[in-house]
Amino acid sequence: MIARFLKWSRHNLFGKPFDILLSLTVIPGFLWLAYQVAAWTVTTARWEIIPESLRILMIGIFPAEQAWRAWVAIMIIAALLGAALGCVFAFRKRHAAGLLLVLAAVIALTGSKDLTNALLTASTIAIFASGCAAISLIPLLRRALLPAGFIALIAIFAVMSPPGAGLWGGLLLSILLTLVTSIVSLPVGILLAFGRRSRFSSMRWICMGYIEVMRSVPLIMVVYWIWILMPVLAPQFGLADVVRGMIGFTLFYSAYVAEYVRSGLQAVPREQTEAARSLGMSEFDINRSIVLPQALRVAVPPLVGNVLDIFNTAPLVFIIGLTDFLRAGQMILANPQYGDRTYEVYAFLFLTYFLVGSLITFVARRLETHLARGNR
Amino acid sequence: MNAIIEMKNLNKFYGSHHVLKDIDLSVSRGEVVVVVGASGSGKSTLIRCVNGLEMYQNGSLLVDGYPMPVEEDRRLGGERELAAIRKGVGMVFQQFNLFPHKTVVENITIAPMRVHRKTRREAEATALKLLERVGLEAHAHKYPGQLSGGQQQRVAIARSLAMEPHLMLFDEPTSALDPEMIGEVLDVMRELAADGMTMMIVTHEMGFAREVADRIVYIDQGSILEIGKPDAFFDNPENDRARSFLARVLKH
Ligand SMILES: Nc1ncnc2c1ncn2[C@@H]1O[C@H](COP(=O)(O)OP(=O)(O)OP(=O)(O)O)[C@@H](O)[C@H]1O
Ligand SMILES: [Mg+2]
Repeated sequence: MIARFLKWSRHNLFGKPFDILLSLTVIPGFLWLAYQVAAWTVTTARWEIIPESLRILMIGIFPAEQAWRAWVAIMIIAALLGAALGCVFAFRKRHAAGLLLVLAAVIALTGSKDLTNALLTASTIAIFASGCAAISLIPLLRRALLPAGFIALIAIFAVMSPPGAGLWGGLLLSILLTLVTSIVSLPVGILLAFGRRSRFSSMRWICMGYIEVMRSVPLIMVVYWIWILMPVLAPQFGLADVVRGMIGFTLFYSAYVAEYVRSGLQAVPREQTEAARSLGMSEFDINRSIVLPQALRVAVPPLVGNVLDIFNTAPLVFIIGLTDFLRAGQMILANPQYGDRTYEVYAFLFLTYFLVGSLITFVARRLETHLARGNR
Repeated sequence: MNAIIEMKNLNKFYGSHHVLKDIDLSVSRGEVVVVVGASGSGKSTLIRCVNGLEMYQNGSLLVDGYPMPVEEDRRLGGERELAAIRKGVGMVFQQFNLFPHKTVVENITIAPMRVHRKTRREAEATALKLLERVGLEAHAHKYPGQLSGGQQQRVAIARSLAMEPHLMLFDEPTSALDPEMIGEVLDVMRELAADGMTMMIVTHEMGFAREVADRIVYIDQGSILEIGKPDAFFDNPENDRARSFLARVLKH
């Protein structure tokens, strides 16, 4: 074991003069940093702030006595995510082990005295697992996934709205924003991508113009514009800030989705369309059943990456006064009582973003290999 | 009246490139016509005009009683006749062009279900019968990528037949196949011809052409130079170019 490590390190770390130089500077530096972080984590840092303000971090200023609504939303999300993952990955035992680990982490965070939260987390995880299992065992359910997604969104809105959409916040807001944007921008982006290759040139120009404009301006600009324009364009609706933010995000990311789908469409050989035409199929049927499924195979990995982009840019909604996860952290620090806990809070934010991000990246990777295998 | 394809003075251009020149050709029901000619002479273009995969600029083309609209009319959206024509005309391609994301059965059932509004059960029953006919009933639930070229091409033929076409077009159906698989595909085509299917075939398999064809069409640089019975064409071509073409291909 040690001998193998030595051999490996001689090859990889100390093989050439440049490697030696690099290793001699980087490795000690890294070790020093790791030691500092570890020492701070276990000695200096006072972590009680995280469990104490966990509710704010998770749901912002959503009223505590209404927290059950947030839990219902989280469970719906869990079912949906589980089902989405179940489309690709068969449910295995080691996945169950991973989920138990998550449960343990949550219990450690919330403190063992609060059993309700632990129980709720456990049921959320169970729902997630059963969503995953159900879809991987009954493939027919897959067809219902996108419609189910929309129904789930409506259900979430219905359950979360009564206390006032202005109160949504924290990690839940970030996740909801990501979810709504990813789901709604998918059909919009697909339509844009098809519109871009329509027979009608006016349609082509409109779609292309839209995509190009959206792709050449910053997201924050679009979000802000939609926020100030909505009351002017649709005053009778009186849309909440959250909804306007979601509209802005969706309009912006639809253009990116359209580009990913377009590259997928280009990857489908013309001969596929010709074969379907020669069978007498209508252009609509051809696009829906022959071209789109093959295009999406190509587009799915970048589309999953797009979800990560959305999640990581969610903090920008602070521009329209929303309290997402990052902003919730800052809000806690604004409390003078906690003013000296900057590092603890930001470490927690960093870790959460890092975990979610690497999870999505991991899924995208696996999807890529899975689809490559499926293509044969 | 008995003609299923009737081309009169058909002309086709790619930009300024004149690819089909004043084509006059009629094919009767039940007839097997084989189109031969050098590479680039316009065989594929000719056969693809019949089901509207290529557009022609002037002349007239009647398929199965429907007039195929010329390019100008199709740009204006005259696609109704096109759909009607395509329902009755099957086509088999050099590269098979099966749908890779669908199983063999799904490949065969999708068009009958979508176009003829058949139920899944009906369509699958027909599909299995057709697969039996081409000797592939054991592979019904595989994906095209799991089959050999010859098997894929036989599935492609079954897929076309599922639409119950009056006319089958074949564009070099064996050119992409390994030599040992050519026979199995030609056998299926022979059977089709014997069953009385009207077929228009582009092929380089001269022995097969001679055997199944009622007439041979020789095309060179976009013009039909000779149409004749196989024996007459192969043994004693009238046209000089046809003679040298045959001398070239029959040498191998
Ligand atoms: N999309 C296209 N654009 C421009 N020219 C084309 C196009 N397709 C074919 N051509 C030209 O039209 C002519 C006829 O082509 P076609 O494919 O019909 O020949 P072919 O007889 O089928 O040849 P092969 O035996 O190689 O398949 C050729 O000169 C070719 O270069
Ligand atoms: Mg050709």
